[in-house]
Amino acid sequence: MTHHDCAHCSSDACATEMLNLAEANSIETAWHRYEKQQPQCGFGSAGLCCRICLKGPCRIDPFGEGPKYGVCGADRDTIVARHLVRMIAAGTAAHSEHGRHIALAMQHISQGELHDYSIRDEAKLYAIAKTLGVATEGRGLLAIVGDLAAITLGDFQNQDYDKPCAWLAASLTPRRVKRLGDLGLLPHNIDASVAQTMSRTHVGCDADPTNLILGGLRVAMADLDGSMLATELSDALFGTPQPVVSAANLGVMKRGAVNIAVNGHNPMLSDIICDVAADLRDEAIAAGAAEGINIIGICCTGHEVMMRHGVPLATNYLSQELPILTGALEAMVVDVQCIMPSLPRIAECFHTQIITTDKHNKISGATHVPFDEHKAVETAKTIIRMAIAAFGRRDPNRVAIPAFKQKSIVGFSAEAVVAALAKVNADDPLKPLVDNVVNGNIQGIVLFVGCNTTKVQQDSAYVDLAKSLAKRNVLVLATGCAAGAFAKAGLMTSEATTQYAGEGLKGVLSAIGTAAGLGGPLPLVMHMGSCVDNSRAVALATALANKLGVDLSDLPLVASAPECMSEKALAIGSWAVTIGLPTHVGSVPPVIGSQIVTKLVTETAKDLVGGYFIVDTDPKSAGDKLYAAIQERRAGLGL
Amino acid sequence: MPPIKENVIIYANPDHCLSCHSCELACAVAHSGGHDMIEAIAANLPLHARNKVVSVDGTAMPMQCRQCEDAPCTFACPTGACRQADGQVQIVEQHCIGCKLCVMVCPFGAITVRSETVVEQGACTNRGVAKKCDLCVDWRASTGKTAPACVEACPTKAIRMVDLDAYRIALREARAREIAKSHRHMRVQF
Repeated sequence: MTHHDCAHCSSDACATEMLNLAEANSIETAWHRYEKQQPQCGFGSAGLCCRICLKGPCRIDPFGEGPKYGVCGADRDTIVARHLVRMIAAGTAAHSEHGRHIALAMQHISQGELHDYSIRDEAKLYAIAKTLGVATEGRGLLAIVGDLAAITLGDFQNQDYDKPCAWLAASLTPRRVKRLGDLGLLPHNIDASVAQTMSRTHVGCDADPTNLILGGLRVAMADLDGSMLATELSDALFGTPQPVVSAANLGVMKRGAVNIAVNGHNPMLSDIICDVAADLRDEAIAAGAAEGINIIGICCTGHEVMMRHGVPLATNYLSQELPILTGALEAMVVDVQCIMPSLPRIAECFHTQIITTDKHNKISGATHVPFDEHKAVETAKTIIRMAIAAFGRRDPNRVAIPAFKQKSIVGFSAEAVVAALAKVNADDPLKPLVDNVVNGNIQGIVLFVGCNTTKVQQDSAYVDLAKSLAKRNVLVLATGCAAGAFAKAGLMTSEATTQYAGEGLKGVLSAIGTAAGLGGPLPLVMHMGSCVDNSRAVALATALANKLGVDLSDLPLVASAPECMSEKALAIGSWAVTIGLPTHVGSVPPVIGSQIVTKLVTETAKDLVGGYFIVDTDPKSAGDKLYAAIQERRAGLGL
Repeated sequence: MPPIKENVIIYANPDHCLSCHSCELACAVAHSGGHDMIEAIAANLPLHARNKVVSVDGTAMPMQCRQCEDAPCTFACPTGACRQADGQVQIVEQHCIGCKLCVMVCPFGAITVRSETVVEQGACTNRGVAKKCDLCVDWRASTGKTAPACVEACPTKAIRMVDLDAYRIALREARAREIAKSHRHMRVQF
């Protein structure tokens, strides 16, 4: 292994400490692998490498001297567009598979199966029923659940191309539904949208870059539909998040406990593990872990349980290997998405068990414990007992848990935000927010989404951008690994508001925080949940737009993904654009090879749907561009 | 007067070249006047790689100037733009008129005459001058790198910059080891 200096890999001090440990022990991490991948292929980076058929790979010379066309005749624009929309479709498939999982669970519950689950939040269930037009008067709970499951699964089954997905049609502003409907951008069926994207990008099919990109926006809207239904139904099943004080970073691990990390995205198993851990506490103590069982989160499944149970967050995507290096991680339980295949290789150097649970997501070298909702508690117990057994194999001399963690106030679902506002104005909760946007105390709202990437010093772009926008009185929301970055950096605290918010924003957050009984301002960054929970921000924005009688594209609301890497992030960014938001991406997507596609997504989209991509790798100028976009929207509203 | 040292050359191992053309992209970008690749592509700069990965008989071979010691281009050049200096064959672009004689006499097809600036339609000149591998002298000076851009960019390390003295020493040692071993077993008195 080549050694290298880890001083600038991450802006997270715990990650740096662990990376130095990895260096000392010659353990390879994502950062080493990134180094070995340099230089990364220029054709792929520009999107000019096509591997869609076996005549390829074909490459278009970006400098115009070599080939201009692939063997089939596809030009740079066709190639770039086809690959981009395929990436969006993969993101949609991932989020929506998660959603399908939850929807099927609801269906099975309505049929009297799945005794380990119940509807924990009936109020939310009734609210969803109201949104989707399901009758509730005088009906039993299971009948309502059955209808909701049927409508939701309809979004995966409807074959009428002109009938939009139920969740989207019921959840967006009427103007947005009309505008996207007229453009043919409202998907009728999540699965069909993904399949049709694969079909139209097959060799010899759609070659028109504009038509392809429109198809990409349509399949991205299916991602929003899948995310929405995943979030809302999960709330009914597991509870709608309310503000809770938690903690973040590797200091949340405990030397005296059996430490179990949940990593992935789907709460179906991780939520049950949290419940069952309490039941098996005595077994852990009997095994020598005086502090019992300590569940910690990584990535989005971590956010799901952090939002609902206050489970502390160990770390986010890029540093997911590092909890193993503390020597105090008994097990990492993974479900789906964004899980590094390297985990078992690193776990081999320790006593840590890497446990895969989903039949479609296995990793060589990991132990597979198949998860079945019908035996959820039993599966969770098996997994926790494996972790307790691993505790007995821990080498106490190798335990090196960083002493650092940050308090984080999390759990800001749309409902929780409205409830906090209701403390200021019970009759009209949104009024204080609207008033402060109008008077300029709040200039606008930014939603931070996305991942980490080795192309950016971990977490640094998030922190820099959030501070610079909050200073200019922009309200900051975050989800997913963006939220993880802010939690670790201590920006989800009242203190951060006092330290970094502009005067106007500080006043508003203080007033609401005090009224809501927090004893101080609301945190500088509001944690809205996991990546599928971006739909929470859409719900809040939709309520705001409906109150003002405007469309989402009129609001001073922007999105930013400064450290994005996954196809899901591309899907999120694309639907953010489609619902009308100026959307910043900080890692350059593989579109630069086509000026036509680049122009389509950064300029033409604005006229078409109101939103557009801002591609900028520099957080400083990206902040200026986002702020300018907010000002442009304010001017449009006459503010 | 001490003997003149041979010029350093770029060596490429055809068994390791996967023909990804990364060396070509890196070469073009290294001679773009300080842009990075994404900027250069986005700005549509008319860049030119001074090397070329050539596919022949199922093998890929990165080709570039061999920095000849008795270079035909230096004889053919009517303006003296091609010259032997500082341990390489240089082309002084200010002296080049783009006559292409060097292109015709180069045994390796390593020289191209073209312009890397945007020329207006109907201008009285194409601004074309001879371009070839300059071992990234300027790029290395400005970036502090030790190896040329193509060597840096090669993901399989098929390309290297070779000092012939070092190459010879390695070669002699390898053969010396074998011959010495054989001579120990010689039975003939002479």
